[in-house]
Amino acid sequence: MNRSRSLTKYAASRLASVPIMLWLISTMVFLLLRIAPGDPVDAILGNRADEIAREAMRERLGLNQPLFNQYINFLNDLIHGNLGTALNTQEPVSQIISRSLPASIELGFFALIIASIIGFSIGFTGTAKPESNADFAGRLYGIGTYALPPFWAAMLFQLFFSVILGWLPIGGRLPAGSLIPSGSGFLVIDSIKNGDLNLLQMSIRHLLLPATTLGILLSGIFSRSLKINLTKTLKMDHIEAAKSRGLKDSQILLFHALPNAMLPVLTITGLTIASLIGGALLIEITFSWPGLALKLQEAISQRDYPIVQGIVVVISMLVVSIGVLVDLLIAIIDPRVSY
Amino acid sequence: MLKSLPKNKRFRRLITSSTVLIFIISLISCAQKRDNSRIIVSSKGKIESIDPAQANKLLAIQLISSLGDTLYEINSKGVLEPKLAKTLPKVSKNGLTLLIPLREDVLFHDGTRFDAYAMAFSLNRFIEIGTLNYVISDRIKSIETPEKFLLRINLRRPSSSIKGLLTSINLTPVSPTSYSENHKTFKNNTFIGTGPYKLTSFTPEGLSLDPFENYWDKKVANQGIDYINYKTSLSLFSAIKSGQVDVLLSNSIEDGHRLALNKLSQRGVLNEGIGPAMQIGYIALRSNNLPLSNKTLRKAISYSINRNLITEKVSYGLREPLRSIVPPILKEEQISPWPEYNPKYAKELFKQSNYCEDERLSIPITFRSNVPADKLLALTWQEQVKRDLSECLILELNGVESTTIYKRLAEGAFEAVILGWTGDYPDPEAYLSPLLECSKIDGEVCKEGEAVYGGTFWATPEIQSALKKGESLTGTERTKILKKVEILAAEGSAIIPIWLVKPRVWTQADFNYPEFDGSGRLLLEKLKRNLNE
Repeated sequence: MNRSRSLTKYAASRLASVPIMLWLISTMVFLLLRIAPGDPVDAILGNRADEIAREAMRERLGLNQPLFNQYINFLNDLIHGNLGTALNTQEPVSQIISRSLPASIELGFFALIIASIIGFSIGFTGTAKPESNADFAGRLYGIGTYALPPFWAAMLFQLFFSVILGWLPIGGRLPAGSLIPSGSGFLVIDSIKNGDLNLLQMSIRHLLLPATTLGILLSGIFSRSLKINLTKTLKMDHIEAAKSRGLKDSQILLFHALPNAMLPVLTITGLTIASLIGGALLIEITFSWPGLALKLQEAISQRDYPIVQGIVVVISMLVVSIGVLVDLLIAIIDPRVSY
Repeated sequence: MLKSLPKNKRFRRLITSSTVLIFIISLISCAQKRDNSRIIVSSKGKIESIDPAQANKLLAIQLISSLGDTLYEINSKGVLEPKLAKTLPKVSKNGLTLLIPLREDVLFHDGTRFDAYAMAFSLNRFIEIGTLNYVISDRIKSIETPEKFLLRINLRRPSSSIKGLLTSINLTPVSPTSYSENHKTFKNNTFIGTGPYKLTSFTPEGLSLDPFENYWDKKVANQGIDYINYKTSLSLFSAIKSGQVDVLLSNSIEDGHRLALNKLSQRGVLNEGIGPAMQIGYIALRSNNLPLSNKTLRKAISYSINRNLITEKVSYGLREPLRSIVPPILKEEQISPWPEYNPKYAKELFKQSNYCEDERLSIPITFRSNVPADKLLALTWQEQVKRDLSECLILELNGVESTTIYKRLAEGAFEAVILGWTGDYPDPEAYLSPLLECSKIDGEVCKEGEAVYGGTFWATPEIQSALKKGESLTGTERTKILKKVEILAAEGSAIIPIWLVKPRVWTQADFNYPEFDGSGRLLLEKLKRNLNE
């Protein structure tokens, strides 16, 4: 009873920090964008537009207002859930984000599954057979994939599977001329829901290469962290006790060591998920994947303030929420954690 | 080896290997069968908007040109031809009125008829909300429709470049019926025009065009176009090489890939089409401050550039050296007023300004860090100067993102900066004015005007009056005056042209040869797969 009450208190305190963190992040983004050199008017009109045209555009976009007023308007809109409209296309930012976010989540989700399968299998095999050839190969793989520059790896995969073998598409979410059907924006889910096998096949074919590349790049850190934590756990007293009770090695590994070793891995997984939402930029660029990171990069180069602000706020919200969720999960799972 | 394993492990391995094999086979066999009747076109760059009032990027302009028609067009020989207009415009004696009779057999994609009202609606919409409206708003005073198929354009001042301006795809007519609610707002993802194709789907990642069955002119040669964009030059190269796309537009593709594609086309693996060059690359020297306010030094720099070497090293000869700021296709008389590479004379000029003996002139060269060719140009020029003029000149390189460069040009932040320019419409004036015009001059320093936005801050009253005069002249008189402007600009050496970039396009070998119009746009409607091959 006491534990559940303090857990609720802990959860409430963690959740209360979310709006403060979001306010700080959004304020920083707002100010940094205005300090950064470059002008959205230049991005829209080009640098040759005369001063009258530039002023008219500035007025139309509301950029002629004092910075403080712009900030207050931005905060007011944000509180009311309005992320503004894109300077360049006058399209609502929420619409742009709702189009790009599912692509990023879909890519991140499948990459994470691939990374978990590969990473945990390698980590687990290495621990089960220490100093074996498999362990050595696993270690090399872990370090290698962690050190591999993502853009280079992505280009190699693209060249091998798309150009040399011709098995998979170069990039994009769907073939040229195909329309993304209305729905959740998650193509795999939408196609299964609508029983559209053709769309399912097309979307998986397009997803496979970027998700596998990202998954392989992430799997190294998963395998290494599992291996290290599992090895550490296997040296603990309760494992010795289990061995002395005559339990099988596989039982000890699976039911006694693995759950304990998974806690730090859970934290790493949480951080990885958070970073994936906005951090798969190089993969999204190489495979022309129309996700949130790519949209953010384009918006930054065009100095489209509302899009940048909107995306950063959404990413921050997700990162903070995942962080809080992982903290709470660990607090629930691990009785040793004090809060 | 397999026999040494226990039976159940062998079985498991067999199952795993079979699953992997089946997965790979299904991947290969399930590869999408391409619909060969449609053409897949790809390029780098996203289309944010398909509204002619909003579009200002080359790619969007290329695609809109397949969806809409213009009043006039420049043919591949550089000659103005009527398109939606019946004849060439009749200009009044004072040069202030243009009368344009229009075709009567043109329909919009929504089935409504094109007429003078529709044209006036589209022009006024562009003047009202167009992102590039400043290009025409200071020329056009009002637009009238005296008859259903007769358009009258009243000008603020005589303008010889107005005809060229009327070939701009930004001024393509849109249906007043479909745009009735968008006469003051952009319609980013639909387009209702009069062109040979109609837009059937649009997303920023790609779009589809179907042939317009009621098109007034020649029907298109293919069943439709699907456009897809890739983000990297390597992806584009891989896509055309692996046959995943049929046509590749060269916008923003890296020079190394251009060369590789050029070689593939020489081997007959691909077709290569080359259009008339409209894009120039140049160096702007800031002339309102020392040391480059010294004209002799600017001239010395102008003589120090080995364009042949630079174009060879940077683009493997695919870009042409340029000693003029107007692309050759837009000039009746071909002149190259900027000096050729002459290190000896450059040294002499540096010496006249007291350099080379004890002191060396150090100039920071800024280039757009997101444009690989600019960086290579800067690096090559730096090495060439080290080789030829090391005792007189030092070039320091400084890469800055292009948006920042454009913002800070008018602040005079860059002593020398590498830039590129494509005119908004096919006319010499679209190159000379944006680079040289100035509304307020003090000596040879421009205080207000295009020369300030361009970062040179250089102007002379003589050039300004020649530019103004050129606007009211036509024919050989105009050619003479524009030639004079270029000679004066070359003498001033605040702008140094470097190269000319020709648009290139590559198609799969089973296609016909790609054609361009006189504005450097690929004619998508003429692309055709030769099915018998």
